Amino acid sequence: MKYAISINGIGKRFGNEYALKDISLELGKGITLILGPNGAGKSTLLRCMAGLYKPDEGRVKVLGKDPYSDAGIRKRISFMPDNYGLYDFLSVRDNILFFSRLYGVNDDTAISKAMETLKMLDADSYINTKVGQLSRGTKQKMLFCKALVNDPDVILLDEPTAFLDASSSAQVREALSDLAKAGKCVVFVTQRVDEATRFNSRICVIRNGRIIKDTDTRGLYNEVLSGITVSIRLARPIRQEIRSKLGKNVIIENGNIVKARIRDYRDINEVIERLIKNGAYIASVDYAEPMIEKLYAGDNDEE
Amino acid sequence: MTRSKPMAIAIKDIREVFSSVSIYGPMIGVPLFFAVALPFLTVYVALHAAPSIASRIAITPIANVAKSQVDSLSFMYFFAINVLGPIFLTIPIFTASVIAADSFAGEKERKTSENLLAAPITNGELLLGKILASLIPTILLTLAVFGIYGATVNFLSIREFSTAVLPTPTWLMMLASAPLLALAAIAVVVFVSAHVRGIKEAQQISTLLVLPILLIPFISILGIANLDVAFFAYVIAALCIVDTVIFYISVKDFKKEKILY
Repeated sequence: MKYAISINGIGKRFGNEYALKDISLELGKGITLILGPNGAGKSTLLRCMAGLYKPDEGRVKVLGKDPYSDAGIRKRISFMPDNYGLYDFLSVRDNILFFSRLYGVNDDTAISKAMETLKMLDADSYINTKVGQLSRGTKQKMLFCKALVNDPDVILLDEPTAFLDASSSAQVREALSDLAKAGKCVVFVTQRVDEATRFNSRICVIRNGRIIKDTDTRGLYNEVLSGITVSIRLARPIRQEIRSKLGKNVIIENGNIVKARIRDYRDINEVIERLIKNGAYIASVDYAEPMIEKLYAGDNDEE
Repeated sequence: MTRSKPMAIAIKDIREVFSSVSIYGPMIGVPLFFAVALPFLTVYVALHAAPSIASRIAITPIANVAKSQVDSLSFMYFFAINVLGPIFLTIPIFTASVIAADSFAGEKERKTSENLLAAPITNGELLLGKILASLIPTILLTLAVFGIYGATVNFLSIREFSTAVLPTPTWLMMLASAPLLALAAIAVVVFVSAHVRGIKEAQQISTLLVLPILLIPFISILGIANLDVAFFAYVIAALCIVDTVIFYISVKDFKKEKILY
C-alpha cells in the first residue's frame, strides 16, 4: 500500500461551522507534521484519522479501511490526544493493562513494552503510581507510552511534547524518528513552528480548516522565512552607536535584542556576521514568532 | 463481538465507581440502612398502631396465626410487601442511574473518552461493557438489600408472631422485576448521556423513572390494584417491552462522537 492514510475531500462541521473543509492528503511512511494555530482544525483532522469523528463530506482511509466504522483497523492505529485522557483513579500499570486488553495485547508484552518506553523517558519509577497523582508532563509521558503499547503502524499524536521538558521532548522526537525509519506512519500535530521544523519532514500547514501549505522543513524556511523581522538575542549588550555599521535593516531594540528585517533566511547569516565583527556575542535567533505570524495570519497565496 | 473487551470495560468502570467513597458510600449505605431500619419501624407500627390501621385496609388474612395477633401480623405482611417492597424497587433505578451516568457521561466529563473510543472496540462492545458495569453491581446490591430486608422482617416477625412473613410469591416477583427496572434506567442514561454535558444531568433525568414506582404503594392502599403475582407478571411484561423500546432508541441514537464532548 503506497499511502498509509488517504484523505479525500473531507469536510467536518460542528453545527453550521466548518472545522475542516475540502481537505485532501496522502500520507505515507515517515513523519508528517500538521502545523497550525489554535482552532485551525488540526486536532479535528487527527480525530478523523483516528476514527473518532466521521467526516460530513469526503472519506478517510487508514491502511485501506475506514477507521470510524472499522474497529479492527484501529488495532493498528494509535492515538495520543492532547488532554491525556488516562484514568486518574487507576495506576499507570492498570491504565496500560486496560488499554492493551482492548488492543488485544498480552499483559506481559504490554508491561514489558511500556517499561521500555518509560525507562527511555526516565519515568519507569511511576509505573505503580496513580495517574491522578502525576504532573502534567509525566502524564504526557504515560500517554506516549500507552500510544506505543500496541506496536502500531500508524501513530497519531496531538501535541505530544507540549508539557515535556527539553530532554524528554528530545527523547520522544528521537523515538518517533526511529519509528518513522522503521516504516511507521507518524502524524504529529503541533502549533509550534520550532517543534515542526525540528524534523526534516513533510509539514502541512492548516488554517481555518484548510491545508494552506504542503511543504517540508526546507520549503517552509524558503517560503516563510522571508520578508520578516527576526530577533537576535545577544549575550552582552551592545552600544547604539554601532547601529550604522549593522545596515539599514537592523534596529537595536535594547542593548540585548537586535531586530533585523530579512529578505530571506540567508540574510540572517550576514546580520550575524556584522554583529560579531562589531563585538557582539550571539545568544539566539528567534524567528519562530514572526514566522508564525506570517504563516497563520498573512500568507494567503495558496488558498 | 468479543467477551474480553466488554468485560475489561465493565471491570474498569466498576473499579472507578468503587474508587470513590462519595459515589459508592451513599449508593450502598442508604439502601442497607433502610433494609434494616424500615422493618423495625414496621414491626413497631404493627404492634402499636396496626389494629386500627388494619381495620381500615383490605388485608388478606393470615392462616395459622392466633386471632389476637392477626391484625398486627396482617399489617406487617401488608406493609412489608405492598408499601416497603415498591420502595425497595427504587434501589435498582437509583443504583443503575448513578453507575451508568458515571460510566457514560463521566467519560465525557472527565475527558477520558478519546482514548477509549480510539481503541479497536465496536459500539456494541462499548455499550455492552458499560451496561454490564451498571447492571452487575445493581443486581448484587438489590439482592443484598432484599436479602437483608427479608431476613430482618423474618427475624422480627418470628420473634413477635412466631411466623415468617417473607418470601412470598409476590415478593419474589417484585425482586424479579428489579433487573428490568435497572435496565430501563441504564437505557435512559445511554440515551441522555449523548445529549447532556455531565454526570448530574444524566442522573437527574434517569431517576425520574422512580416516580411510577412510588405510585405503586398508593395504588395498593387505595385499592386500585391488588399487588399480587399477576400484577407483577404484567409489570414484568410491560418492562420487557419498555426496555426493548428504550434500548432500541438509545442504541440507534448512540454515536460515539456524542460522548466525546
